[in-house]
Amino acid sequence: MAVLTVKDLYKTFGAGTPRANRVLDNISFDVRGQTFVSIVGPSGCGKSTLLNIISGVETHTSGQISVTSDDGKPARMGYVFQDPRLLPWRSVRKNMLYVQDQADDETNRRVDKYLDMVGLGKHGDFWPGQLSGGMQQRVGIARAFAVEPDLLIMDEPFSHLDAITARALREQLQDIWSQSKKTVVFVTHDVVEAVELSDRIIVLQPGGKIFEDITIDLPRPRRQTDPAVATLQAEVLARLERMKGMAPQVSAAP
Amino acid sequence: MSNPVIEAPPTAPAVTWQEGEQLARRASSRRRAKRLVLLAAGWVAMLLVWNVAAYYLPAGVLPSPLEVLIVMWEIVASGAFAANFFASVGKTFVGFLVAIAVGAPIGYLMGRYTYWRAFFHDGVTVAGTIPALTYAVLSLIIFGISDLGPILSVALVSVPYIAINVAEGVRGVDQSLVKMSQAFGRSPQQIRRDVFIPTLVPYIFAAIRMSFAVAWKVEALTEVFGGTNGVGFQIRSEYQLFNIDGVLAWMCLFIVFMLIIERLVLRQFENRVLAWRPEERVGR
Repeated sequence: MAVLTVKDLYKTFGAGTPRANRVLDNISFDVRGQTFVSIVGPSGCGKSTLLNIISGVETHTSGQISVTSDDGKPARMGYVFQDPRLLPWRSVRKNMLYVQDQADDETNRRVDKYLDMVGLGKHGDFWPGQLSGGMQQRVGIARAFAVEPDLLIMDEPFSHLDAITARALREQLQDIWSQSKKTVVFVTHDVVEAVELSDRIIVLQPGGKIFEDITIDLPRPRRQTDPAVATLQAEVLARLERMKGMAPQVSAAP
Repeated sequence: MSNPVIEAPPTAPAVTWQEGEQLARRASSRRRAKRLVLLAAGWVAMLLVWNVAAYYLPAGVLPSPLEVLIVMWEIVASGAFAANFFASVGKTFVGFLVAIAVGAPIGYLMGRYTYWRAFFHDGVTVAGTIPALTYAVLSLIIFGISDLGPILSVALVSVPYIAINVAEGVRGVDQSLVKMSQAFGRSPQQIRRDVFIPTLVPYIFAAIRMSFAVAWKVEALTEVFGGTNGVGFQIRSEYQLFNIDGVLAWMCLFIVFMLIIERLVLRQFENRVLAWRPEERVGR
């Protein structure tokens, strides 16, 4: 069963006015359970809008969108933002508990488990201000996984980090994902990153149409230094070359 | 081709990091000692000037520091100080509670909505510039001679500080944290409790610290004119008896203990509540 279904989705800002601007144009795709899907595209292609519509922050003009859970209950969503967005007046562990609905032993164990997974098991009682930017982002990732979401949405979570930290976190994200197998929708402008992380890449083009839907079939764990990963990255980049004529800047490479 | 070598400056103060840290420690303790010496010298100079003035002025105008100290001791020993001091402090704090109850909602509205800001802004600014003495007189006209006068004057003096700071705090709420909370399905009550209020607390402390410095003086002033107890009332009683040692003794005691509350009690409490702030940790 599909976790996320998007069907014939249109979004026009300022519909009915002379300044009407269509940012999503007939988007349809399904995401099934336990897949890691990246949405890639140059700035202005509508990927943030799509994300906001999926998360319910923004309304759509027409079409259908649904998020379902396995057990029929309302679907739980987890979020990782560009910046960590931790409450500075709560300790790391209490930040993770803040987004939990329950405060029982099981929840506490789960929170500790994910803190351990991001390598911050000993930092539960630290204030966020005592951690580096990369560590704070790891808390943000652990926080999202710890709500055990049916759908985990990640909005360019590594774009504000330096290259070395971002690479370490990408590897860590793969490890956590391999162990927990959540359904992830990962938005990025970085094709190289998308190839390393995803089972599938949905490429949006300027104007908000789906340009290509690419399946990435590579064994995990994948590392940036792996030649097979590098080959596929080059191949995908080459396929996106055709998009160049469509937009003033195609920021595919980092 | 040889590698470039960056050499340490020839006159390095320390060779190893242990030595460097030790030098830094010694320098900082020297600075601390110097500061303490100057602090003590300031006090000695002040008392000396007072003593000399007391010696040369006609008898009975200005008692010497020692005479005042003896009277201070008598006041403390008789128990009169504790009773009156707590009466004054009590009135100051009740005035503060009133100021928070009135000023915080005004500040919230000012920070949250631009039209309420337009409504309150000039009023609050004017209220903040009125001299404290005016509030003391006004409170006495309204309540006559009672405990309510000092409470009202403290409240009136503090409301603008609280309102302006709370408004700043509400505007300072990090919207990205609010959006994060909403995305994770937190309720409006949870967002108020865990995002809004913690953001406001440092601003409220700043407001209390700023207005406390003015408030306790206004409180004493109001008691001088129309109190039934408290330190200000005692100062007036001594004045009516032409008892200058008594006036100065009460004044000195009040200053010392209010400074202790301001510098130590409020500051300590603030440090504890705001332990999460990076700048609070630096001092430890």
